Amino acid sequence: MPLPAKAFQLWLHVVAPTASTADICRISGIKRTTLAQQLVRGKVAETTLVSISRALGRSPLEDLSSFDSYAGLAGQPQPPTAAELVSQIATMDLLRAVISRSSPAYGGYGDDGSSLTPALGPAPHATSVRNWVDAIDDGELRHRVSAATGVAPQNYSAQLTANRLSPELAVATARAAGVGFTGGLVATGLLTETEAGWAPEAKQAALDALSDGELTALAGERLQSLGRTLRRQEQEHEQTKKIWENLG
Amino acid sequence: MIAILQWTTLAVCALVAVARIPSALRGENRSIFGIFALSTFAIMLSISTIYLVVDAWLGAENYANLILRFLIYGVVLLAGYKIAKGFGAQRSMWFIVGPVGRTVLALVVIATVVPFLLANTTGSSTGLGTLSDQSDRNVELIRLYTVAGRFYPSYIAACLLPATIRTVRSRLPKLPRIGAAVLALGACAMILLSFSELLPRPLAYLQYFISSTAVLGLVLGLALMWLGRVLATKRPART
Repeated sequence: MPLPAKAFQLWLHVVAPTASTADICRISGIKRTTLAQQLVRGKVAETTLVSISRALGRSPLEDLSSFDSYAGLAGQPQPPTAAELVSQIATMDLLRAVISRSSPAYGGYGDDGSSLTPALGPAPHATSVRNWVDAIDDGELRHRVSAATGVAPQNYSAQLTANRLSPELAVATARAAGVGFTGGLVATGLLTETEAGWAPEAKQAALDALSDGELTALAGERLQSLGRTLRRQEQEHEQTKKIWENLG
Repeated sequence: MIAILQWTTLAVCALVAVARIPSALRGENRSIFGIFALSTFAIMLSISTIYLVVDAWLGAENYANLILRFLIYGVVLLAGYKIAKGFGAQRSMWFIVGPVGRTVLALVVIATVVPFLLANTTGSSTGLGTLSDQSDRNVELIRLYTVAGRFYPSYIAACLLPATIRTVRSRLPKLPRIGAAVLALGACAMILLSFSELLPRPLAYLQYFISSTAVLGLVLGLALMWLGRVLATKRPART
């Protein structure tokens, strides 16, 4: 559920008492019409709050937790699990790690986390939402989220496929899985890893802790699902081309 | 009211057909232009004012109505073939231009031409509703002729409906999906048209709305596909 406009305006008045709406929009890069529309509708998107908080140099996580619906975020956040951290490593970075661990004959360095391996890209990546949910799923997670939020399982899956998840659902998912709240917010791109309080080297450390077998199996799974996605895209592209050719 | 509806439908179709001329001259998918042009002529012939003029010129034996039937058959056959092919619907293709489709078409043509030639069709009458010869035999023959004429478009529409709905539900780009939805709407109207005989007399005017929906659904659906192709070739496809 987006933030109530009234609470948002109260918050805005506290954090930036002198700034006009125009100033706020200018520094945060939000379109004035967008903000006005959200205020009129009485629902302000979480991304709006985060952009403004970020622009004011404040902590978006703390600001978010000052709202009733995100009160659970307050206090010392529960750190992400190793699986969650690994889920936020892009597929290509995982593959790079596989190659980098291989023997020099195959272009690798034959070691873990060599200083020559390029640094991991920041989260979120192209499939970070689904990978995050897969990482914390015990097989029943989707049903529990669906029961807790009333969101139909197929709508939930559709959001995952589109690499999207509303902040509300991300928090509900984390709650249902019993993990920290920051994982979902990072995976959906609402917060950066730093803003979520993740240690800068946490992802790399989680990756280095994977055995060769674990890493290779994981990279293989990712590669397979990437292949499926690409094949589906190619098929859709072919279908569209056929429609243009015959009916365009 | 009905006149306004018919003339508006005609204007829309004619506009789309004219807009398609340049691309037809360039040789892009001429059959789509053919569909637009034939639809325009078909609507012209279903408007009373134009029908009476054309039929008078053809000898007031209602041959204009026979021509109208074949214009409609041509449009739905061509459109059905192109749409089924565009949506990659093998089964629909089979039912439209395969052995089954050809048999159906042949039967429909016989069921159209034979009753028409056997009936006494003297005296121009739009839709053949008010022929001068109202003998039982003549009324029955005309009814058979009318049923055949409505059956074929409904048949093609029914063949296309699964493929169009599948496309609407797919994850293709927005415009082809909206176009497919409009085509599906037109196909539904085309199927309903077959049952418009069952409408009670006070509601008989509804069939004009249904037939306009059918034609506009087809023409605008195809126009959306065209728009989609133009936009897609202008700016590179997003993924």
